[in-house]
Amino acid sequence: MNTVFSEEQRDCLQELINVAMGLASDKLARFLNTFVHLQVPAIELVNSTQIPAQFEAQYSSAEAAFVSQGFLGNGGVRGEAIVLYQLDNAHRISALLGYDTDSASELEMLTDISSILTTTFLNGLAEQIDNQLSYSAPRVLSSRQNNVTQALIDTACHWELALKVDISYQLIDHSFNCDMLLLIPGEAVLNIQQILDRIVEEY
Amino acid sequence: MALPVLICDDSLLARKQVRKSLPESFDADILTASNGLEALTILRSQEIGLVFLDLTMPELDGIGVLEAIKQDGLDCFVIVISADIQPEMQKRVTELGALAFIHKPVNPEKLIVILKHYGLI
Repeated sequence: MNTVFSEEQRDCLQELINVAMGLASDKLARFLNTFVHLQVPAIELVNSTQIPAQFEAQYSSAEAAFVSQGFLGNGGVRGEAIVLYQLDNAHRISALLGYDTDSASELEMLTDISSILTTTFLNGLAEQIDNQLSYSAPRVLSSRQNNVTQALIDTACHWELALKVDISYQLIDHSFNCDMLLLIPGEAVLNIQQILDRIVEEY
Repeated sequence: MALPVLICDDSLLARKQVRKSLPESFDADILTASNGLEALTILRSQEIGLVFLDLTMPELDGIGVLEAIKQDGLDCFVIVISADIQPEMQKRVTELGALAFIHKPVNPEKLIVILKHYGLI
């Protein structure tokens, strides 16, 4: 990340992401009807080919789920947002929300939460850079039914870069961790740098 | 006489956004801090009339700063400018004595309305 972005660009991107994440957390808090303790999300830009191995290292010991959603904006902005979860807490959150506790409902819940997180977050980000996005329907995969790592390998190979946003949510009575990955084409970095420079210059 | 003002945010961009949102008619002496601890050091060593305070920060967050201001009986106005916009959070900072709660990114018109309302400009 530091090699790609200057310190000013990184600070600017972090702030844009903080604002977008604040909007997403507020939406999620209303949906879960609880207070969400918001931490500064750690961001990192990596090669998308590194993603499956990182995922394996982080999630291999537990059941995991993967929800992906494509996005498309003006001026060639496009990518795929992936939210990764450990399923440990999922059934408790399902129960909290009044979903049935079978695994189909669990996936339905994760799809709902991911949709809130992804679209609110990306809309918030897009608005700050005067863009507008549209989305494809979410796709959900669980390690109980699918090979999540293989799905991640298949998805990541379509893109060159991944902006990793580590999200850690602390709810009042339980914690909830997920990772959001924004897979973007390689040429997008130049575009992002220009946008960040423009904002930095404005202030 | 210029009002001593402290802008506390871990983001350089956010500090600049606040500074640029202040109207020209606002006669202020501006200091900055990049986390809550830095802010408290400044607040305890000199008179500050108004603080623009972010909430989500490393070292010490905005809630911690508000609690310390209350506990030490420091005499300053606080306007919170935050990306964490949950109603529960707004309630908490108001209870801790903040004058106002502004969503990020800061909207200059809203800021002017608040400054006027409290007779700061």
